[in-house]
Amino acid sequence: MKHFKIFVWKEFLHIWRDKKTLMIIILLPIIEVLLFGFVLTSEINNVSLGIKDLDNSLWSKNLILKFHNSEYFQVRMLHSAPEVENALQSNSIKAVLEIKPDAERKMRAGESGIIQLLLDASDPNIARTIEVYVNNIMASSLPRAQPAQSYLSIIPLMYYNQELKSVFKSVPGLMAVVLMLICAMMTSVSLAREKETGSMNVLLISPLKPWHIVIGKMIPYMAISIVNILMITALSYFVFGVPIRGSLLLFFFFSILYVISALSFGLLISTIVQTQQIAMMISLAGLMLPTTLLSGLIYPIRNMPGWLQRFSGIFPARWFVEILSHIMLKDSPVSYYLQPAGIILLITLILLVIATKRFKLRYD
Amino acid sequence: MINSITARGISKSYAEQAALHKIDFAVQPSEIFGFIGADGAGKTTLFKILTTLLKTDTGTAEVCGYDLEQDFLAIRRIIGYMPGSFSLYGDLTVEENLKFFAQVFDSTLESNFELIRDIYILLEPFKKRRATDLSGGMKQKLALCCALIHRPQALFLDEPTTGVDPVSRQEFWQNLKAVSHQGITTLVSTPYMDEALQCDRVALIQSGKILQIDTPANIISSFPKALIILKTSGNKNLLINSLKEIPLAESVFSFGETIHITCEPADKPELISKIKQNQQNISFVDNPQPDIEDCFLYYMQRENG
Repeated sequence: MKHFKIFVWKEFLHIWRDKKTLMIIILLPIIEVLLFGFVLTSEINNVSLGIKDLDNSLWSKNLILKFHNSEYFQVRMLHSAPEVENALQSNSIKAVLEIKPDAERKMRAGESGIIQLLLDASDPNIARTIEVYVNNIMASSLPRAQPAQSYLSIIPLMYYNQELKSVFKSVPGLMAVVLMLICAMMTSVSLAREKETGSMNVLLISPLKPWHIVIGKMIPYMAISIVNILMITALSYFVFGVPIRGSLLLFFFFSILYVISALSFGLLISTIVQTQQIAMMISLAGLMLPTTLLSGLIYPIRNMPGWLQRFSGIFPARWFVEILSHIMLKDSPVSYYLQPAGIILLITLILLVIATKRFKLRYD
Repeated sequence: MINSITARGISKSYAEQAALHKIDFAVQPSEIFGFIGADGAGKTTLFKILTTLLKTDTGTAEVCGYDLEQDFLAIRRIIGYMPGSFSLYGDLTVEENLKFFAQVFDSTLESNFELIRDIYILLEPFKKRRATDLSGGMKQKLALCCALIHRPQALFLDEPTTGVDPVSRQEFWQNLKAVSHQGITTLVSTPYMDEALQCDRVALIQSGKILQIDTPANIISSFPKALIILKTSGNKNLLINSLKEIPLAESVFSFGETIHITCEPADKPELISKIKQNQQNISFVDNPQPDIEDCFLYYMQRENG
């Protein structure tokens, strides 16, 4: 235990002395959360919406007023088909709501197809969001007694994130990416440095056991990761209002499980490479990229081809994001995310077994 | 006397390329045993094998009574190793490096202080300095301190004086002698021929083969050839080329300012007169004595046929 303590002490000194790297790994999560929260948002505000009212009834006037009063839309009245075409083409409006003639009467008679929504789908994400917003406003204008479906073909109900705030979705994905970056890259680089400078040879000859070296390398980055988790959570809660509806304890428990899986990846990389540069290359290209692209942070997993969906399953990030959205947004019972948690645990164990087997006490 | 380190027929190749070929030697307790050879001769590979880091292809060795294969973990506990490159932690201070290696090796700075006192006294003024900011000589002293801190039975120093200034090298050898007087067997490798004289015994090593093992004095005194040393005020390279044309001259090597020529002892007077006939602007060094480098080159030439 004395050996282990002194080794961990040395590792903390390495990190503490390298102030630049320390600053990066502490500040990076803050910057990323702010970037994703403020800039890379697909939320809509002040979308210019064209409305063409062919009904001119009290009901249709009322509906238009609702759009006027909504903070999401800037309403512009349109009167002819060419005008609609023009506005959409010139990009001055993103969507057109066309209230068909006799809409109010048809509605009372229970007929469907009284309103048409035209969307500029050149950005499908925004188009989809606008559709949801429009449907929500529409729904409030329809008589309660009648099922909403009778007026509009689809009225999706958005739970958990009614306003479709992308920062809600980004926070779990961001945590996955940032923790993977810090844990996997820093441990693999740090172990590769011992090999590169030759100090690993001195450590091997010492009475240190392999687990002293391996776990000793993991502990400091685990500590930094916990600081990062706290910062990301606090920042997203206080600045962006991202809730944690489920148990905070479970939230930290599964975050730490994910951190261990990321550390194991770093460990495995370090058993393969000999230099810091290659360790960094592999962690960036081989881990960071798939984590960013395949975790669902940027592109939804269900939009991927089947083989890619299965491939994304070998990276813990995908499962971690799933667990976090269960805990943060839905407060689902634990049994709902036991499977992804089990998969992360399995990946971690496999990585650790391979890494330990590959950790060489002697070279051939 | 029981040998401290014995190697029998150690061979090692990397991807078909032989690095070591049937290495045999024995080192006695508290001896300073030097491996002298150029870069790429196989010194580092041999040291990695003897410190149990690298497996042999064939052959075996005993280090302080432990078998290299079966007891490699036991060997690790009783040796000190200083790799060729500076492999302490540059971002840690002198004091921190010492503390780390002392504790990792179940020791303290105080418990073996008399062993490292002479070296530590030189380091102490810099103890708060980061290791990376030390001079080359100070780095080597720190590394030696760290390798000695647990009072190993055998010390392996791989090219400890490479890249160190002459004064620090001299100090370093003084430190090593003091260490060996305390009963620690020391194996040291160096590419500097003149450092052979600092060792009790040396092995000349070239292309993975040991050419000769003996005390430096014996190696020099058993030099079987006659040596002629001369200087020139003219073009040295032209002179060397024309000297090589003379059939009696067995070898002609440039040694800095001078040229060393060897021949059979019986042929020496004839060779000297032939050189005098053909060359101007040359002067002979009186009573030339061979040094280790002459011996090394002789054995190397003999090995290559």
